[in-house]
Amino acid sequence: MIDEQMAVFIGSGLRLAVPIIFAATGEMLSERAGVLNLSLDGMMLMSAFTAALASWATGSPLIGVAAGVLVAMAVAAVQAVLSVTLRANQLVVGIGFNILALGSTTFLYREIFGPLSRDPIPGFAQLNLPWLAHIPVIGPALANQTGLAYVSIVMVVVTWLILKYTSFGLAVRAVGEDPRAADKAGISVAKTRYLGVLYAGILAGFGGAFMSVADSNTFTENMTKGAGYLAITAVIFGGWNPWYTLAACLLFGFATALQFLVPALQLDVPVALLLLLPYLLALVAIAGFVGKSRQPSALTIPFERGG
Amino acid sequence: MVLKNPKLARVAKGARLELVPLQVLVPVVSTIIALGIGLLIITATGASVVEAIEAFWDGMAGSDFNIGASINRAISLALVGLGFIFASRANLTNVGGEGQIAMGGMLATAAALHGAGGLPLGLAFIVPLAVGTIAGAVWGGLAGFLKAARGTNEVISTLLLSFIALPLVYWSVESFHLLRKPISDVSSLPESAEIPDSTKLPLLFPDNGSPLHIGLLIAAIAVVVVWLVLKHSTLGLRLRAVGLNATASRRAGMRTSFYVILAMTVSGGLGGLGGAIMILGQQFYLTSDFSSGYGFDGLVVGLLSRGSAVGVVIGALLFGFLRSGSINMEISAHVPSAVVLICQGLIVIVIAGSAILTNRKVTR
Repeated sequence: MIDEQMAVFIGSGLRLAVPIIFAATGEMLSERAGVLNLSLDGMMLMSAFTAALASWATGSPLIGVAAGVLVAMAVAAVQAVLSVTLRANQLVVGIGFNILALGSTTFLYREIFGPLSRDPIPGFAQLNLPWLAHIPVIGPALANQTGLAYVSIVMVVVTWLILKYTSFGLAVRAVGEDPRAADKAGISVAKTRYLGVLYAGILAGFGGAFMSVADSNTFTENMTKGAGYLAITAVIFGGWNPWYTLAACLLFGFATALQFLVPALQLDVPVALLLLLPYLLALVAIAGFVGKSRQPSALTIPFERGG
Repeated sequence: MVLKNPKLARVAKGARLELVPLQVLVPVVSTIIALGIGLLIITATGASVVEAIEAFWDGMAGSDFNIGASINRAISLALVGLGFIFASRANLTNVGGEGQIAMGGMLATAAALHGAGGLPLGLAFIVPLAVGTIAGAVWGGLAGFLKAARGTNEVISTLLLSFIALPLVYWSVESFHLLRKPISDVSSLPESAEIPDSTKLPLLFPDNGSPLHIGLLIAAIAVVVVWLVLKHSTLGLRLRAVGLNATASRRAGMRTSFYVILAMTVSGGLGGLGGAIMILGQQFYLTSDFSSGYGFDGLVVGLLSRGSAVGVVIGALLFGFLRSGSINMEISAHVPSAVVLICQGLIVIVIAGSAILTNRKVTR
């Protein structure tokens, strides 16, 4: 019985971590370039809704994911124009997008799927990606994951390789630490930051789409429930390092899954305290009380050429 | 100060003439555009625009009760907005209004339920208000302390503190040994018991059925005080100096850490007061999501105002009435209230995006 519960716990911990891994990995790269996307949650929510809608309309979850990623990229593009070209306050723009995303997805959901419908959308139960059934079983918990879950880990590796071994990665790091020096060295700060934000948008799109078409096979209002903020928190807690960020995402996923395990094991730990744990850890980390976590020097600071 | 050089004087005058209208123009134009888009969306749903606007108007101001309820909403938004502009005077961005409201409301409820009810002379509601204010002040001050002592970005810390505060409220209404009301045969919802009548804020017009309470007077005083401090006091000047150039201020002998912590404490305190007023003035019992959206709405109000206390009042009234109207529009005309969220999101994005027009100062 306990083994079974552990398997369920590990499985759900991983499942809950996947969207955060996607979003945090992209966000980590964007922040290394100096742009903080508080709009991550909005990108994920828009993608989750679009993926659900497209997958429902076409019957293909793959098209759903593609549509979700495209919409998240579009949001990221506008975010980039505002925060890079127009030098708007990145945090304020991000909050604006999150309000807009919550409003527009809630509105469209009610208009298209009916008011306050919390039922699973008809036809969605069968929309599991067909090729997922053949993924080799690694363990009871790992086997129950969808293909996208494995993609998320691949993206961590890819992002790490980009940052460490490519000239683009070097440009990202330079632009995030000292944009003026990077500019003088001939690196386009604006272009690098645009690409960074778009990269964050693509991965946030995957994360959001995972929630609706790969995980729950439905869309519910505000279904991200702050996952984007959690992803930003994971980046902070992970000290802007891809592997530590991955570890933070897994930790947060399991911390969230604990709220289902703790009552099942009849332990007397308030669920609420588990919910705030990731944020408390991140606060302690960013306050510099644990380890050395230093944010990129130019994070959230717009860059203007000349002067 | 009179500029001797006429050419320079003209440039200075021109710059001032240009800056002031833009600061008013941008929020007004973005609000009008956003509301226009909202109307287009309503039209697109096939709902009757006339019916929707009628329902909207009715919800906002259709009766004494609705007007009172709208203004009551505006009171808390105004307090959060005032907190936002107070911190931003020191160039600090307090995005943690939600958490400060939550802490203020939670501890005000605790005070009202445990002890304050029997106090005389209006202390029954004054003490919970003070407790809520202090709770918010501590929550905001914590971010100020982290900024001053550890250099922690206050945007990230206030955001994280909000996400810590919300589960705390949830915890308090989930646990019987905290604020959850004892299970009765009627209901066992995770919420607190209703606060005693003596702790509820007195109504301004008890005779006409309006729920408008004395929070209005408290907010009015707060507006005047914040306006005086920011515009006409040494403190306001020092906050500004610290915000503009901390190093120079420190060299000029100012204790910059003190002003950073002070700005965030006052900012959080105003949010906490807003939260306390929400509970004591209209909700009367604590639920886990009582603060939902008020923090971000208050933040938007603060932004719209561009640092002016009068602007906060206008913005808070606008959003208070919008919220009330949108709720009624959903009930009566079946237009989702999310349309108003779309408008709010657009307003924030457009204003943030046009900051480049209004902040022409050269950045170094």
